[in-house]
Amino acid sequence: MTTVTPTITHRKVKVKFNFERYAYLFMRMSGLVLLILAVGHMVIQHVLNSSGNLTLIFVANQWNSWGWKAYDIFLLLFAIPHGINGLRNVLADYIHNPGTMKVINIVLAIFVVATVIWAAIGISLFDPEAARQAAQGLPG
Amino acid sequence: MSSLILTIRESVRYRGRSGHYSWIAHRLSGLAILGFLVLHVWDTANAHFYPELYAWSIAVFKHPVFAVGEIGVMAAVLYHAFNGIRITILDFKPELWKYQKRSATLVWVLFAVIFIPIGLYMFIEFTARCGELGAACWQFPRLSDFIG
Repeated sequence: MTTVTPTITHRKVKVKFNFERYAYLFMRMSGLVLLILAVGHMVIQHVLNSSGNLTLIFVANQWNSWGWKAYDIFLLLFAIPHGINGLRNVLADYIHNPGTMKVINIVLAIFVVATVIWAAIGISLFDPEAARQAAQGLPG
Repeated sequence: MSSLILTIRESVRYRGRSGHYSWIAHRLSGLAILGFLVLHVWDTANAHFYPELYAWSIAVFKHPVFAVGEIGVMAAVLYHAFNGIRITILDFKPELWKYQKRSATLVWVLFAVIFIPIGLYMFIEFTARCGELGAACWQFPRLSDFIG
């Protein structure tokens, strides 16, 4: 008996670029970016720093520079769409009614835009001096 | 509801072996991270919009329940990141599929090697901090102490 070695043949296939294909590619590309940004964020904030030391003053010192503000805005821009699209993929596996899925897609899209805009405004406009003032007289 | 139970039962029962366990772990870790992330983003935005409320929330997050959850999030992020890289490589290099079983194991080993020391460090750091605080460590801070 001869053993057949399985080989994988390549062939070029023209794929129409629709939303789902962009979403698929986005998951891979944003995943690579998040490997640096999200894992970096976890190591910096939760290992090198500790959430035990997290106070409003700590945030004021961190967001004193546009460098850290930019880091967190980039993290936000990639993490929220990546996470919500992941949830959408999971839901699409179990919900087979196209109408329901369409509603979910719209709701999740609105949620992504609202969250990103709200949090990006919060980070951009964050004023360290105002935060230090607010922290005065608070416990902790 | 019965369809949800059926889904969960069949998800676990399907015997795809190593790749199947990676798939389950990738989904669960992803959903866990997302749950934390949404809470974290809306909460952190309050540092600007409502600093007193934010100060209260981060005091709450120092409770042991959240400290343990934080270690869980670290585990989820590390596994999801490493397995995500595996998925991306296999998606773009189908000729490497013959190593898919080995790569799934490699991801678990890499995860264990990196997560175990980090998780232990976080746990020891937390227990030392909680030990210093004594009984106060287990008390939830009152919102009225921050707002009003």
